[in-house]
Amino acid sequence: MKSPLARLSPGDRALLWRHLRTPVLTFLALLGLLGVIVALGATQPFAQAWIVELAVVALMVALILLVSMEVRREPPLIRLFSGIGFFWVCIMIGMTLTDYLAR
Amino acid sequence: MSASGTIEGAARREPHVPESTIGRKPDYLHAESTLRSWFFTTDHKRIAILYLTSITGFFVIGALAAGVVRLALIVPNGAIMTNDTYNKAFTIHGVVMVWFFLIPSIPATFGNFLIPLMIGAKDLAFPKLNLTSWYVFMGGALFTLVAVVLGGVDTGWTFYAPLSTAFSNSWVLPALIGVTIVGFSSILTGLNFVVTIHTMRAPGMTWFKLPIFVWAHYATSLIFLLATPVITTALVLLIAERAFHVGVFDPAFGGDPVLFQHLFWFYSHPAVYIMVLPGMGVISEIVPAFARKKLFGYRFVAYASIGLASVTFFVWGHHMFVNGQSDLASLVFSALSFAVAVPSAVKVYNWTATIHKGSLRLDTPMLYAMGYIGLFVLGGLTGLYLATLAINQHIHATYFVVAHFHYIMVGGTVLAFLGGLHFWWPKFTGRMYSEPWGRVSAVLIFLGFNVTFFPQFILGYLGMPRRYATYPPEFQLLNVLSSAGATILAAGYLFPMLYLVYSLWFGRKAPANPWDARGLEWETASPPPTLNFERPPEVPRIPYDYPIQATEAKDQHR
Amino acid sequence: MSEGLAEGVGVARAHQFETVAQQRQAATLGIWAWLITELLLFSALFLVALITRIEHPEATVAAARHLKFWIGATNTVVLLCSSLTMSMAIEFSRMGWQRAMVRALLATAALGSLFLVLKAYEYYADWEEHMMPFLAHRPFALEETPAARLFVNLYYVATGLHALHLFTGIALLLGMTWMAAKAGFLARHQNWIEVYGLYWHFIDLVWILAFPILYVVNRGP
Repeated sequence: MKSPLARLSPGDRALLWRHLRTPVLTFLALLGLLGVIVALGATQPFAQAWIVELAVVALMVALILLVSMEVRREPPLIRLFSGIGFFWVCIMIGMTLTDYLAR
Repeated sequence: MSASGTIEGAARREPHVPESTIGRKPDYLHAESTLRSWFFTTDHKRIAILYLTSITGFFVIGALAAGVVRLALIVPNGAIMTNDTYNKAFTIHGVVMVWFFLIPSIPATFGNFLIPLMIGAKDLAFPKLNLTSWYVFMGGALFTLVAVVLGGVDTGWTFYAPLSTAFSNSWVLPALIGVTIVGFSSILTGLNFVVTIHTMRAPGMTWFKLPIFVWAHYATSLIFLLATPVITTALVLLIAERAFHVGVFDPAFGGDPVLFQHLFWFYSHPAVYIMVLPGMGVISEIVPAFARKKLFGYRFVAYASIGLASVTFFVWGHHMFVNGQSDLASLVFSALSFAVAVPSAVKVYNWTATIHKGSLRLDTPMLYAMGYIGLFVLGGLTGLYLATLAINQHIHATYFVVAHFHYIMVGGTVLAFLGGLHFWWPKFTGRMYSEPWGRVSAVLIFLGFNVTFFPQFILGYLGMPRRYATYPPEFQLLNVLSSAGATILAAGYLFPMLYLVYSLWFGRKAPANPWDARGLEWETASPPPTLNFERPPEVPRIPYDYPIQATEAKDQHR
Repeated sequence: MSEGLAEGVGVARAHQFETVAQQRQAATLGIWAWLITELLLFSALFLVALITRIEHPEATVAAARHLKFWIGATNTVVLLCSSLTMSMAIEFSRMGWQRAMVRALLATAALGSLFLVLKAYEYYADWEEHMMPFLAHRPFALEETPAARLFVNLYYVATGLHALHLFTGIALLLGMTWMAAKAGFLARHQNWIEVYGLYWHFIDLVWILAFPILYVVNRGP
């Protein structure tokens, strides 16, 4: 691991860090959020833990979409397409629940 | 406008002078002639022809099965064939017609051929994916045909659990696998269209200059993308349950078959608009061309396409009013179902407003279009009966439903398909078909259709349930009438197959624009060259720039 | 994202497109359209999980507590790592560092394979614990709560479908890496890496939804 890095010139090392900073930071953030979910799931500290778990999942999903998949840097059309699927999932689940929650 | 655009008046009715071909590159049909050049082509036009021939084959299979069903129902006591055979006949009819004819019918053939032409592109965005979608389609079809050959399926096209998972002793598994695979071909086609329409439009071809045909296909493609994966999941769950007992719907363990119906209809109701919207696109092209009048309310028709494609995702529960879903769900789904009538009516009113004070030519495509409008109105209005909770209790799963959706699927989609086939036949093949025979068949199909299906409204209202091989003797007269109509309809279908094929060799050569119609597809030769346009096409000032133009409240093409 | 590409890195135009920018846009839009279908495919399964929970809360909790929580959690970490290496591969492709890119791609494939190995071990552990109710000759551990089968069966369909996606993904990835190792690849097909990267990230995203929905939220009463 050390030798290829050592062979890089200082300029290249700066370039490398500039390119890899975002992915590495995202990775660490995702690991941290996963840690929250796992800790809550393993310990079950209170009955409503699932709400927090799902909120953290939503955060992770948003992070992956916006940063890892670079939606924040895409034109509006791609942003629309990255969101429309989730909207349709809401339609599917919401309309189905009008049945199951009212039986 | 190319050469024929300058011909006016009576001359345009005799468009039989072939255009000069000196110095022109060979068209897409004659560029290459090996089998390889067809089966490994990436040309969207050739792939459209591959689809056209294969779905015609499926139409024949589905129609033969329908013939068997109508034969069985001539007598009330089911004496002509066993109940098993009857069940298999209506299942094959439904499965083949819905999944192997109606869903791919207009998009995979006309859409494939015309979208790049209409937007001024050389091809679809992903030509290899386009060819792949045809092979996937044929692969799925193979499984389903295997199911038919081995002995058939008896679950109905809806594959409801637990009949399909636990009780049916027929070849459900290959049929399920086949239908699942075909879904991927729809997805690939829809994906290709969405990307093509977004990214491949010629310079200057803005959204509000696109023909409605393209708008309709865009809306359809969104449904392909958003709905199809859900039925894939539903069918995968059925396959897992039937083949490996990895089931989630099994009532023996507390599973809920109604959940399967939710997933099934989340796709299958929007699928109605996969079948209907492209037909509306076809009608929106034919009507202005034969009324010589600009399409009335262009923007509203365009928005109505997107509106239908969206609203359709909120109404699936109206197929499930009597299966035990909650009253709240029934109420919500019923109320929302009425909203579908609004964009549908917008379209119908705009077509009639286009015809109003137009200079009508009742050539074959227009006869089909007129038939379409009338039958679609009847089919649509009876849909409102079915969306009404109280009336639905009375006519649910009766022949009223059968008649209703055949008015939409056959009176709508099939008529639009045939109308479009005649309208663009000169473009596809470079040949003119026999106009008199065309008109005779159009009238025959209209009559045959109504004789077949109108009695079914009455039968259903009187209480005859669908999917039974027997019925009370007092229903026999109307059933015989319906079967008699089916023979007229069959003759009507047979004629185009004969004279269209005949025209391929003996028809007169078609000019670039035999109908003096507007749209970029008419600016190139008939049939078009491999890369569609000899030189980049010029985008017109407005779409549907026909001689007669009504004043409208608002500029429709900013 | 054509800005920020190193010299000699780019895309060769295919005949149906007018410009390279158009081609890139089409490819990106195309993969996003495909990802929409993937999302709905899995969401239908998540909906089934939700309904199962609503209709049979106790049985679902009993079934969920039998799942191998720690293997699932470890596998999530493995996929997060693979997402990191995939992001690195994309960045290397933009920088024009072809060798580094190929190594990052291979690392991604290795992590994906590790996930599958762990998943296979998990299935084996499930079998050991009599958590395969569909096997005719092997009694089910939760026989006294029949509805637990529904959730367990759903778990197999969902994880199986995800594993199938991952398996296909690894096969595609290895094929692409083989081509990407050749000279001149980055000058002609740099956007393949970006497009494939979107697919890989999304399969991870699906797992990040599946892990809590199957393993975590149903542990609570």
